[in-house]
Amino acid sequence: MIALRSELPLKGDTSSRFVVWLVMVLVFMASIALTTNAYIGALLFHWNQSVTGTLTIQIPVMLDAKDPASTATTERVLDVLNRHPAVERATAVPREKVTELLKPWFGAGEAVADLPLPVLVDVRLSTSEPSAINAVSNSVQSTAPGAVIDDHRAWLNRVIGLAEGLGAIAITAMALVTIALGLTIVFATRASLAEFAQVIDVLHVVGAKDGYIAGQFARRALVQSLIGGGAGLLLYAPTLGFIAWLASRIEPGILPDISFPASHWVVLAALPFLAGLIATITANVTVRRALSAKV
Amino acid sequence: MAQLRKKSDFVGDTVQLEDVGLRYADGPEIFSNVSLAIPQSSFYFLTGPSGAGKTSLLSLMYLAKRPTRGRLKLFGDDVTDAKRSRLPAIRRRLGVVFQDFRLLEHMTAFDNVALPLRIAKVSEATVEKNVTELLKWVGLEEFMQARPSVLSGGQQQRIAIARAVVHRPKLILADEPTGNVDDTIAFRLMQLFVELHKLGTSVIIATHNEHLVSRFAFPRLHLKAGTLTAMPPATGAES
Repeated sequence: MIALRSELPLKGDTSSRFVVWLVMVLVFMASIALTTNAYIGALLFHWNQSVTGTLTIQIPVMLDAKDPASTATTERVLDVLNRHPAVERATAVPREKVTELLKPWFGAGEAVADLPLPVLVDVRLSTSEPSAINAVSNSVQSTAPGAVIDDHRAWLNRVIGLAEGLGAIAITAMALVTIALGLTIVFATRASLAEFAQVIDVLHVVGAKDGYIAGQFARRALVQSLIGGGAGLLLYAPTLGFIAWLASRIEPGILPDISFPASHWVVLAALPFLAGLIATITANVTVRRALSAKV
Repeated sequence: MAQLRKKSDFVGDTVQLEDVGLRYADGPEIFSNVSLAIPQSSFYFLTGPSGAGKTSLLSLMYLAKRPTRGRLKLFGDDVTDAKRSRLPAIRRRLGVVFQDFRLLEHMTAFDNVALPLRIAKVSEATVEKNVTELLKWVGLEEFMQARPSVLSGGQQQRIAIARAVVHRPKLILADEPTGNVDDTIAFRLMQLFVELHKLGTSVIIATHNEHLVSRFAFPRLHLKAGTLTAMPPATGAES
């Protein structure tokens, strides 16, 4: 219950002024953790989407062949693939694009032109069924025995592992922030209880119930948390802007464009209220427990 | 007449103590085997030398402490082991004047006096009317919006008394309520207690002031060396 009138001199309370500052830091940290978690989730979804249902086939160079690009083999493979029922489309990656991709490492000179590069074939499957992937692999293997078939799973699994680890850290950070908030309120409330022991005694003598007194502490904790939480979000906004600016300076294509769903912003906006709820309940329980030890 | 009753007589009294003992932590008993019954609408002085336990005895009655031995009943309710949740309702029938006033410094005189009414959720209109009336009676209408810290000891004491009686309690427990005022004001404050007594309130006033005790024809309970003795009213006093 929240009392409307305050009989406790909580406004001038020196023992809990730090609560607003601490809640500000905690809500700031929570918002960063939430955003990190959401970003990693969105990144995973994006990567998963972009590689699911695709295969990359490398047709190795026959060093003794005259044609270093193994044109005949490539054409046979493309022919087999494009007739396969599980394949939507199969195209060879043009050599110019492959050399373009290698440019950052080898430069644009003749050296690259002479490199015995494998032929890459991009395959888009009409299904992501593992049996279909196997059937396609088998067909390719029988046509070009040395071909390497990559369904990106191994790469994606490692990335997922990393992302999940980071996500777990973000969730752990959220849990720690919640615990820290609870402990902050408990200690601040206990300090105030000690500071106002005599006032509380008087309130008891004139017939105040424990719930009435607890309500006043809870209301104060709510107000402090809302103020601190709001300030935490205000601090978060420019931080997010700064990170977004840093990301925008990276070459396009390395990081996909990710926009957060509306639910993410709703949860972020709810953080101060969530902090307020935790603080209210914690303060109420702390006061009631402390008072229950009295006569 | 002052009455120290046998256990079998405890019926319908405002306060009943039965073989009550009180000790702090592991210390010796402050008093032991105290039995008494305060009938409804009675008026008692509680006297005794400093340190005899007057304040402790009062604090049992306003439920700041519980007996370490014996039984305590208030308004017929056995509160010796009563749950905490039952106590606020009982406390709202009490009015307590502390020796050190215990006014809330962050509140005005008006708000201090209004406290018991507001805790009991009395309407603000009634609070306004009753508190203003009472502060006029104790001669502090000019100081309604003053903080206790700017008032003299005597003025603070009057506010403390006003706070104790504003909600028309059934039992008033006052610890040296006239200790900081001159005889004229002391007499006026005593009249307030007497008026409330006539309206049916039981009053127990702990005091050192022999002069005050001798002026009023009320019985006294004398606490000395942990023992409570009943004494008749002073002879020749006004009632």
